[in-house]
This record gives sequence, structure tokens and C-alpha cells, in this order.
Amino acid sequence: MLRRNVLGGLAAGAALARAAAAQDAEWQKVVDAAKKEGKLVIYTASIGSTFHKTVFKAFEAKYDVKIELLEARASEVRERVRVEQSAGRFLGDIHHNGSTTTWLMTRDGNLQPHGEVPNTKNIVAPFEADDIRIPAEVISYCLLVNKTMVKPADEPKSWKDILDPKWAGKILSDDYRALGGGAVFFVVMQNTFGRGFHEKLAAQKPAFSRDIQNSERRVARGEYPLYIPFSLQDINNLKGLPVKPIVPAEGRPYVRFDLSVLKNAPHPNASRVFMNHYLEVDSQLVFANAGYNPVVKGVIEKTIEEIRPLLATKAMGTTIPEKQDEMLELAKQIYK
Amino acid sequence: MVTVAAAYGERAASFGGLWRYGRPAGIAALILILCFLSLYPMVMLLYGSLHSTPPGIAGEFNLNGYVSIVTTENLVVLANTVGISLAKTILSLVLAILLAWIVARTDTPGRGVLEVLITLPFFIPPILTATAWAMLGNAQVGTINLAWRWLTGSDGTLVDVYSYGGVIWHMMQYSTPFIFLFVVDAFRAMDPSLEESSRMSGATRWQTFWRITLALMLPVTTSAFILSFIRGMESFESAVFFGTPVGIEVITTTIYNSITQRAQPDYQSATALGFGAMALMFLLLVLQSRLLRGRSFTTVTGKGYSPNVTQLGRMRWLTFAICIVFFALTVALPIGQLLLSSFFKFFGFYEADMLTLEHYRNVWENSAFWRAFGNTMLLGVVGATVTMALGGIVAYVTTRTRWRGRRLIDVLAWLPWMMPGMVLGIGFLWGFAILPHAIPIYGTLWALLLAYVALGTPVAVRVTSAAYQQIAADIEECSRVHGAGWWQTLGRILIALAWPAFAVGWVLIFFGIMRELSASILLYAPGTEVLSVVMLKMWTGGKPEEVSVIGLLMLVLVLVFRWVQLRFIKKRISTL
Repeated sequence: MLRRNVLGGLAAGAALARAAAAQDAEWQKVVDAAKKEGKLVIYTASIGSTFHKTVFKAFEAKYDVKIELLEARASEVRERVRVEQSAGRFLGDIHHNGSTTTWLMTRDGNLQPHGEVPNTKNIVAPFEADDIRIPAEVISYCLLVNKTMVKPADEPKSWKDILDPKWAGKILSDDYRALGGGAVFFVVMQNTFGRGFHEKLAAQKPAFSRDIQNSERRVARGEYPLYIPFSLQDINNLKGLPVKPIVPAEGRPYVRFDLSVLKNAPHPNASRVFMNHYLEVDSQLVFANAGYNPVVKGVIEKTIEEIRPLLATKAMGTTIPEKQDEMLELAKQIYK
Repeated sequence: MVTVAAAYGERAASFGGLWRYGRPAGIAALILILCFLSLYPMVMLLYGSLHSTPPGIAGEFNLNGYVSIVTTENLVVLANTVGISLAKTILSLVLAILLAWIVARTDTPGRGVLEVLITLPFFIPPILTATAWAMLGNAQVGTINLAWRWLTGSDGTLVDVYSYGGVIWHMMQYSTPFIFLFVVDAFRAMDPSLEESSRMSGATRWQTFWRITLALMLPVTTSAFILSFIRGMESFESAVFFGTPVGIEVITTTIYNSITQRAQPDYQSATALGFGAMALMFLLLVLQSRLLRGRSFTTVTGKGYSPNVTQLGRMRWLTFAICIVFFALTVALPIGQLLLSSFFKFFGFYEADMLTLEHYRNVWENSAFWRAFGNTMLLGVVGATVTMALGGIVAYVTTRTRWRGRRLIDVLAWLPWMMPGMVLGIGFLWGFAILPHAIPIYGTLWALLLAYVALGTPVAVRVTSAAYQQIAADIEECSRVHGAGWWQTLGRILIALAWPAFAVGWVLIFFGIMRELSASILLYAPGTEVLSVVMLKMWTGGKPEEVSVIGLLMLVLVLVFRWVQLRFIKKRISTL
């Protein structure tokens, strides 16, 4: 009996090893084909990010595949892809954009299945991949305070603390009535605390601005003590300034960026290899150390100490693409 | 009363039978070129405004886009837009005429240098001056308010840049030097004999200035007014920086919201709103045409003359002070901020331990920047030259001939200026992408070049039209009578006399190309990035200080170009 079990176990192990070897061999063919393609064109809505470029350069060095980058705002990327494809021009390979835009483009048929990507098995909950979209990284939102204007005892501990009348007229904010971090914040607070939260926040008369980079600097300069919602990865641009990110007790709203392959991509193998590379621990660690939340396991514990406690906080929620426009309308009604 | 009016319409150029066959072909070619550059993207946009979905997606034709713009909210937006643009244009026009008169027609000391300095703000990317003014004029800790509180001991606020006033002030940074550039050369090229005649007939200096000088400048001032007013209606950065935070919305921010701030972009509303704005601006053109019709504004005749400089005596120090104050407020303050910020780690934080050269180093080592710089310089030089050539020919046909088709040509040349840039960019994208793949435009530098030529042609036409209208027809006729061909006369007489205007137009278009973003972001491809796109990437990536470095580099280029231009103009004027 024992001998049968041992032999059975050895046979199963051998079968698994053969299957793994076969899978590796298959993947190696994809890598070889990618190297032969030699080029990858990425359309990304992540404009000016040095961290992404670090990951891209590592890919180029590892696989000897040249990356050409087209950076534009989310809606501009979407419109370019749509126009190009309807004109029969298939120029891009990888699409890197927010989850809402990616969902819309999936619905419109601008994307194609990416095929097997081994590292998708390492994706950590609540994120998951499907045959079209792979989570790439996560932008988390929190509060930004001016340390010289706000004493530690007065720092908001909960999202509801910003409803305290002492913050009236002192909040600078991304616009909740427009697509972006403001909209994410609106939706998550609405789903968590209800309409009453926003009605009270509207009474605080937050000042809206769509120039996010400048807004963060305005808080640093002392124009306002508080900015919401603050994208955690922007802290890299503010090192040395008297500001501090705070993740309240309830957690951080977030938005996911996705990778997908554009329809009729001219370099499909390079696209798959790139997606796999993006999900490597080393690649995700670059993003995590910058303040993005990683999407694969085994990364947060390796991040630098100053960022780890912020990333390890609770994920509060995100937007639902199908309800995005409805929520924007609601925001316009409340924040006149 | 001195008046200037002549039956100008009857003195159009005539070339006998020489153009029997060439002229129709020439006009047809010109119309075709203009149709491709301006009508083609407009037709794409018109389709977009009348169709429920953009080109390439199944949908239906309807008027929903136009219906959606007729709301109380949009009427308020329209009133804001018109009111703000009107206020800033009137204020800018008054200031620009005063400054141009001081620089071109008085003995104010240092006016050569002042002329260059006064125009500098026009060439700085608006995003940088907006950042500088945000730091100078915010109500809480703005430099101006802090200084005011320190001086007076009050807690009050002297200025708040986040207001209607702030939006208008920021727009004036650009419109005043823009109008100045139009007007100053016209002042300089004016034959003073009409003014002398007025003074000799007993008119005062003020009467002469009002009834002779300004009257003769009507084509230039009305052209500049209309161009500037339309630009004001289409202005985006000033409104989004200083208006949106306090609930001031204009047409361009509303269009921007329709396209980029919704999960499902609403191109139909955006394009319909663009056409609505365009209809309004078209009325202005009709008004200008009525105002100038049948009158003569020739100030450059076959007689030689030298420009007249008014001796102001001790008043010249007052005029000098006016220029210096303007320079201090619109140039020194914001550019000072830029210069300082380029040497400190963070914009606005001027502490000794934050001194650094890293921004200069980062720009120097940035290969994407240098590639974009090369692309932009190439597109700028070629684009400005081609645009001025096209504009010169269009202006000739519309102002110096009575050829059939000239009104159509004039309208076609105007069209791109009247459509908000971010909407027109979409028109170019749609238009170029659906061209046959065998025509290598989309995804190449050609797409950008063609878009820039289309966008710059209205300026080229206005600048040269105003200059041609100042030149008497008899000079041209004299050349033709002596046997010169059409091209010879155009090149050696008209363009030679209008050269200062050509130089101004060239510089305006060159730097307009450097700053253009709306079409560039939609038409560039990997490898064809231009400076405006690279600057957007740097700004969004949290590097405003590196954008400052690039802004300062652009200023150095401006100083070089303007120095060359002014030396050339002075040489030309001295030989007239």
C-alpha cells in the first residue's frame, strides 16, 4: 500500500514537472517570438511617470525589445485608439489606462484577449485579471496636510473629521464632478457614508481645482492646510516640503490601472511578455516604493519603511464604470 | 475736419489679359489648399456635431448636440466668455496702442529695448505665468498681499487672482503684447505727412491722434481687436487656473469637461458648442468688414518719407515710467519667479538649502526634450515660413484684387481661428486618420505641420492684409507698367514694403507653434513629440521647475529672434 502511494506520488510529481516544463517551453517560444518582433508600442495615460519608465527600461534591457511610448490623457488615448482602429490603422500594442476607460474600450471592442500570462497567478485579491484586462498598479487616495499649519493633534483621523466646521473654507480639492481622483473619492464616500456625507462636505465649501500638481504645491506653500484626495505616489514629488499624507482609519479609496492588448496589435508576443514583466515582483516593487499599491503578492513586505504603513492600510473601495456618469451627475447636484 | 476716405474698391489691381488662364487655376489651387487645411477638419467636426457618435461608430443624425447647448447654464457660460474676453480685449487694446505709440512715435529713451521687453510675456507658456501669478496673487499667502499687510498693518487682501479680475489680468499678459506686435509696426511705417497736414491745419495733438492716426490704423486695430477677442473667447488656461476654482466657467472649460471629464465623452455637445461660438465670432468678422468697406487706409505711398518721432520733452520720462511699470508687472514679476524657481528645488520655496542646478541638469540630459526641441524648431521654421507665404498670397487676393472667389478664400482662411483649439484638434485627428493609408500624413511630422499651417494662416492673413491695406495701389501699378511680372511685383514691391509685418507675423506664428498643445497632443506619434507635449508630460509628472527651465530657454530664443527682427526692420525703414 505504502509503495503504491509513494509510486503514485512520484508519478504525479513527474507529471507535474513535465507539465511545468512544457509550460516553460511554451512560454520560451513566446519570449523568443517577442525578441524577434523587437518592438512594442505602448499607449499610456500615465503621463510623465519616471517609475513607469524605470520598468520599461528594465524590460528593454532584459528582452532587447524597444519600447515606443505614446502618453496622453485618458480620454485622448481612448479617442486616438478608436479613430485609428476605425480607420484601419493598428499601430499600438499595449493599452495602459484607468479601469473605467479600459472597461469602456472593452465594451467598444478596441481590445483583444491577451493569451496566457504566467504571472497573473500571483495577482492578489481583491484584484483579478480576465482574458482582456490585467491589473497593472493601483493609485491610492488619502489626505494631504500642511504640517506647519496643522498640529498632530488636529490631524484628521477619520474621513468624517473633515466635516468638522473648523475645516470650512480650508479644503482644497480635486473636482468631484469630473473624471479623476475627485470622482473616485466621491463614489467611495457616497457608497461608504451616504449622501449626507457629501451634503455636509459641500457646506464646507471646498475649493476645486483640476491642476493637481499645482494644488499639492499650494498646500505646501500654506495657501490651504488640507488637500483631498491626494494620490499617494505624488509624495515623491513633494519630498522636503512641509506636507504629510494621512490615510484615515476607514482606509483609502483607490483606482486601478489596467494593461490590455489593443485589437490587431502588431507585436502580440512582445505584448504578452511585457505584461508578464509588469507583474514581476521587481517591477511591482518599483511602483510600490513610489507609493502605488502593488497587485501581486510578496511586494508590500519588501517596500521601503516610510511607505509600507501607508500601503498596508485598508482598501476602501473604487468606482463602478457602469455607474460613473450617474455618479458624476449626482456630484454636480450636490456641489453646485 | 480731416477725413480719410477714397473709393478704394475701385482701385483694385488689374493685370489685363496676362492671367487669362493662370488666374482661375491659381485661385482654384488656393481654394483647394485652404479647403484641405481648414474646411476638411471643419466638415469632420460638423459631422460630429450632427451625429450621435463620432466618425467610425454607428449612430444617427440628430440635433441633440445643438439642443443641449441651449440651456440657462450655457447662456451664463456664454455671457461669462463674452464679457471676460471683451473686457480684456478693450483694456489690452488701449494699453497696447499707448505702448506702441510710445515706442514707435516718441523720443522715449530706451524704446528699442522696451519694445523687446514689452512683448516677452506673449512667448511664455501660459501654464508658467499662471503658476507665477498664483503665487503672487493668492488671497492667503500671495507675495503681493503679504507685502501689503506688512506695509499697511492690515489683515485685508489687496488682490485675489482667483476671480474674474484674475482671469482677465492673466489673459491680458498675452493679449497686450499680441496686439502691441500688430500695432507697433503699423505706427512705425506710417507716412507722417497726413499728421503734419492735420497739425498745420490747426488740429491739436490729441485731435490729430484721434482723427488721423487712429483712423488710419483702423484695419490694424480692428484686425488685432478681433483676433485678440476671438483668442480670448477660446482661452483655456486662464479660466481653468483662476476661474474654475471659484465657479467661473467659460466655453472652453465647458467643452473640456464634455470631452475629458465624463466617462463617456460627449463629442456631439462639444463640437456643437464650438460651432455655436464660431457663429458668434463670424458676426464680428462681418462687422469688421462693414466698418472698413469702401475706405482707404493707405499710409505708404510712392513718395519717400521718414517716420516722424514726437518730441515729448520732459514728458518722455513719464512715458518711460509707464513702459517700465508695464514691464515690471507683466514681465519682471512672473519671469523673476520662473528664474528663481529654476534654481531652487521647489517652485516658490526660496531657502538657501534648496538651491540646486538639478533642473538644468535634468533638462540637459533629457533626450526626449532634445528630440522634441529639434522637431519643434524644424516645424516652427518650416511652418512659419510656409504659413506666411500662404497668408501673403491669400491676403493679396483678398485685399488687392477683385477676383471672383476672394471672399470664399477669406472665409476659408479665417475658419481655423474661430474654432476652439481643443475641438479643432479633434477635427484634425478625425480628418487625418481616415485619409487613405497611402498618403503618409497621419502619425508623421506632416500631420503636425499641416495642422500648424492651418492654425497660423488666420494670423498670417490678418497681419499681411493690414500691411497691404496701408500700401497705395499706384506703387504696384507703377511696377507693372514698367514691365515687372506678377510674382516680381508681389515679391519686390508689396512684400518688400510689408516686410516688417511679415517679420512680426513670422515670429508670432513660430512661437504659436512652439506653444500649441491642443492639436499636438492628438496628432503626435512616438518620435514626433514636440515641446508642448514634453512640457505637459513634465508638468503632469510633477516637474514644474523643469518646465520653468524650458520656458526660460524659449525666452532666450525670443530675445534672439526679436533682436534679429528689429534690426532687420530698422534697416528696412531707414531705406524707405
